Amino acid sequence: MLPLIVLLVTIKGLLMALTRRQFLTLMGGSAGAAVFFQACGVPEKELFIDSPIEMPEDLVTGLDNWYATTFKEGMSSQGIIVRIMEGRAKKVEGNTDHPLNRGTHSSSAESMLQLLYHPDRIDAPLLRTGQRGSGEYKEISWEEAIDRLSSQFTSLEQSGEQDKAVLVTDPVNGHLGMVVKKFVSATGIRHMTYEVLEHTTLIKAMDEVFGQDNIPDFDIDNASLVLSFGADFLSTWVSPTRYSRGYGEFRQGHEHRGKLIHIDSRFSTTAANADEWVYVNPGTEGVLALSIMKSIVDSGQVSQDVIEALFDGNSSLLDLYKPELIASFVGVSESKIKEIGDLFVKSEHPIALGGGTAGAYTNGLQNLKAIYSLNHLKGNVGHKGGLVFTPNSPIEGLETTNTNSASEFKSLIDNISTGEIKLLLLKDADLYYGLPDSFGFKEALFDIPFIVSFSNMKDDTASIADLILPQNTLFEDWGTDVPLAGPGYQSVAFQQPVVRPFFESRGDNLGTKSFPDVLMTLSQVLNKNLDLSGDTFLDVLKDGARQLFDLKRGTIQASSFQEFWMTLLARGVWCDVNEKSINNSYVGKVETVPEAKFEGDGRFNLVPFASAAFYDGRYAFAPWMQAMPDPISTATWQTWIEINHKIADELNIKEGDVIEVRSSNGGVITALAMPNPATPPNILGIPVGQGHRDGGRYAAGRGSNVLSILGTNFDDKTGALAWASNKVNITPTGEWIRVPKFENSVPDFPRDEHQQIVEISTGNNNHVGH
Amino acid sequence: MVTELHNHPQWGMVVDVDRCTGCNGCVVACQSENNIPINLEEHFNQRRAIQWIRIERYWEGEFPDVKARFIPILCQHCGNAPCEPVCPVYATYHNDEGMNVQVYNRCIGTRFCANGCPYHVRFFNFWEPEWPESLKNQLNPDVTVRSRGIMEKCSFCVQRIQRSTRESERDSVELKDGDRGLNPACVNACPTNALMFGDWNDSESAISQIKEKESYPGGRAYGLLENMGTSPNVIYLKKVDESVGSSNGH
Repeated sequence: MLPLIVLLVTIKGLLMALTRRQFLTLMGGSAGAAVFFQACGVPEKELFIDSPIEMPEDLVTGLDNWYATTFKEGMSSQGIIVRIMEGRAKKVEGNTDHPLNRGTHSSSAESMLQLLYHPDRIDAPLLRTGQRGSGEYKEISWEEAIDRLSSQFTSLEQSGEQDKAVLVTDPVNGHLGMVVKKFVSATGIRHMTYEVLEHTTLIKAMDEVFGQDNIPDFDIDNASLVLSFGADFLSTWVSPTRYSRGYGEFRQGHEHRGKLIHIDSRFSTTAANADEWVYVNPGTEGVLALSIMKSIVDSGQVSQDVIEALFDGNSSLLDLYKPELIASFVGVSESKIKEIGDLFVKSEHPIALGGGTAGAYTNGLQNLKAIYSLNHLKGNVGHKGGLVFTPNSPIEGLETTNTNSASEFKSLIDNISTGEIKLLLLKDADLYYGLPDSFGFKEALFDIPFIVSFSNMKDDTASIADLILPQNTLFEDWGTDVPLAGPGYQSVAFQQPVVRPFFESRGDNLGTKSFPDVLMTLSQVLNKNLDLSGDTFLDVLKDGARQLFDLKRGTIQASSFQEFWMTLLARGVWCDVNEKSINNSYVGKVETVPEAKFEGDGRFNLVPFASAAFYDGRYAFAPWMQAMPDPISTATWQTWIEINHKIADELNIKEGDVIEVRSSNGGVITALAMPNPATPPNILGIPVGQGHRDGGRYAAGRGSNVLSILGTNFDDKTGALAWASNKVNITPTGEWIRVPKFENSVPDFPRDEHQQIVEISTGNNNHVGH
Repeated sequence: MVTELHNHPQWGMVVDVDRCTGCNGCVVACQSENNIPINLEEHFNQRRAIQWIRIERYWEGEFPDVKARFIPILCQHCGNAPCEPVCPVYATYHNDEGMNVQVYNRCIGTRFCANGCPYHVRFFNFWEPEWPESLKNQLNPDVTVRSRGIMEKCSFCVQRIQRSTRESERDSVELKDGDRGLNPACVNACPTNALMFGDWNDSESAISQIKEKESYPGGRAYGLLENMGTSPNVIYLKKVDESVGSSNGH
């Protein structure tokens, strides 16, 4: 300040005309101050006295830190690093050390920032005060909340009815899974694992075809041909970020460009990226796979050993599937079936994979078994460019809990209706949203005496619960991850809090808590010994890290545990690339595939699909995801219907027409028509993800929930929901709403033969072919 | 290829359309990094949604012989940019590192630049950007929040280049081609590595190598609408499709 005082004296004459207030105003603005002093010939460097709050943002030079953590997403996960400035999370990027995503990341991982700072997050335990579903709650302390919860457990225990309490979670693994399993075992309650779009048939197929309990890493990177049935693996299926990384290399990472053939009844993102999309009649994917197999076996290029293993030496069951016999049944020409078979058998590293709709019919498991059995013909299990299974975790008890099938949840609802369920606890399991109305859960819910939700926002089920115990978000919590769809070798990823809990200022007795810590506290109150290595979840995690440290192998090794722990948190993941699965010799027998059964006799096959933005509805809370254009329709913020444009013309339907979709069980939703040239004439594609009754300001009351109108068809073998086996009718309501979409947001480019936007190379100049 | 960066880099990008799956991961990463206002439903309906990078989808044919082509479109940072000479207040200009730069506090919102841009990658703020109070915690302090009445566009995440440069000078560490700190948010996010960023002046940089490899007659490299004379600073690599004739496109 000293130079200023001198100046004030020097320029006293000038100041005389100014009031004190005018002077201070002038001093407050840097530009004004500069002009003022320059007039007096003051060197410019003397003028750097600006208050930091007035500085332009591009001069902020604060330090940032990047912390590694793990984002779990269904059966898979991504290693991420989060940028932190001044205690706030700013940006998500991929962790280059993580074996699945290796530095890249998905939009859903980015959206976790908007979960952390969502304006509708619950910041304290809530107790219902009004009618169920009225949304009336009062805030209570954690102490009171645990008291209320423990008294529920105690009264059930006293009456010997512990098994009338059910904890429903999403698929949990790592040390969280370990705590859940031990808590369930110690308290005697039931545990069920819920996925909206379950992978039950896929996991069972892995067991029966390969004798494995995990989903393999598909080495798309090094494959020469990918034959995909129904699995939208570039957008939503199992581990799209990992598969997309492989896809980039598959296309342009090698001298020989890989070929992708996608077989599906809907034109998905993967279909759009395929060299060839082959339409198949719904539910006939397995039959088509066996027909391809027949043409391959007939070519004489399969060894007798393989035929022995697959068919006990007699492949005559394939005679039913001669291409000429089944071509019209599956909707694929005889020549195309033979061509695919020829390509597959001649390809050096082919992969056959299936899922999504292919596993979502009444014959879903048999479909997938037939599809995956194709891999045995080429012996590509455990090899480069093939299917690589992941060995067991080096730490016991970290495996993912088995998902319960939809038919098991139907039984649960029956139990609720007969009064056999007295306490329902929910963690990241939005049954109200995910289960079809035909299951009767929405009505049965009101028969459960006490419902507890651990949701951090009022999802559709949480907003009906009696007690809401808000858990921390991903960025505020500890955890570990051993994904079901692993990298093909041992890995354990760590999740750490990258910021302090956002509601920390509310004090210990309010705010949010870690779910496993709540279970551990509850077990202490109930005097149950969980036999865990510590009193907090962090203790349990550290014990896990110590077990890894003691192995003295893998990507992180250190001379002391402290050094190991710090390195582990800095890198986010421990791997041992040398620990690979060695059980690759099992070959499941090939069986015939029965015909799929459909519910209803409507004109259209309803194909609900996981939305690129919302997946199964879990990301609808995030405005970034709501505004993310769907790759195919470019629609945002709404629920739309993919319908063939010629059929739409025939029915006098145009884009934005509000269409009523009616299923045979009486379920009705409305959605906006979006005709396109790719949807098959008999197919109606509707994205899953909207139509929440709650879930925060960006999700609530928006669009329609297509899951709600599904019937109760199950896969014959596993009881999984056959969510693609409904036939529906449509009726225009006469209303019209503008579809919020990205297409045409900007004017068309000038295009002619000299001005092309997407230029195409035939590949003649790029080494293409196999 | 890892080389020391030149003293006077000319930043540029390569977009491999054959790798792009149209997932929109780049779009969301950009919005997170650059404090893009929330695009609400009404913004789409009014065709005023802001996406510095966007995925365009083109249809070809119809069922059953149908294709959808995806292409990421962002500011091409043209060497001969139509948006630059029309700005009456020099809010947009070409800097000495090859980037088309937008100076927000010079902009008076004439929108002449948007009219001049053939790529439609300049966006006008029709409203004051709004976030709920808690979501403001996520805003990137390195990036100015643009007010109503001014234009905005892709900056190649210039704040990342500046921060990386500052930090490399502070720590006496040389910046290398491919440093993730230098890369725009979209490049780091892209799951298929369809986007690559680097220095055209560095002949050893990955993008220069690709340009050299693919720029022969019949090669995959092309400039978007380049016969308009804009000298785009972004190079596209053609989508490969064996099933179509050699002169096809969209």
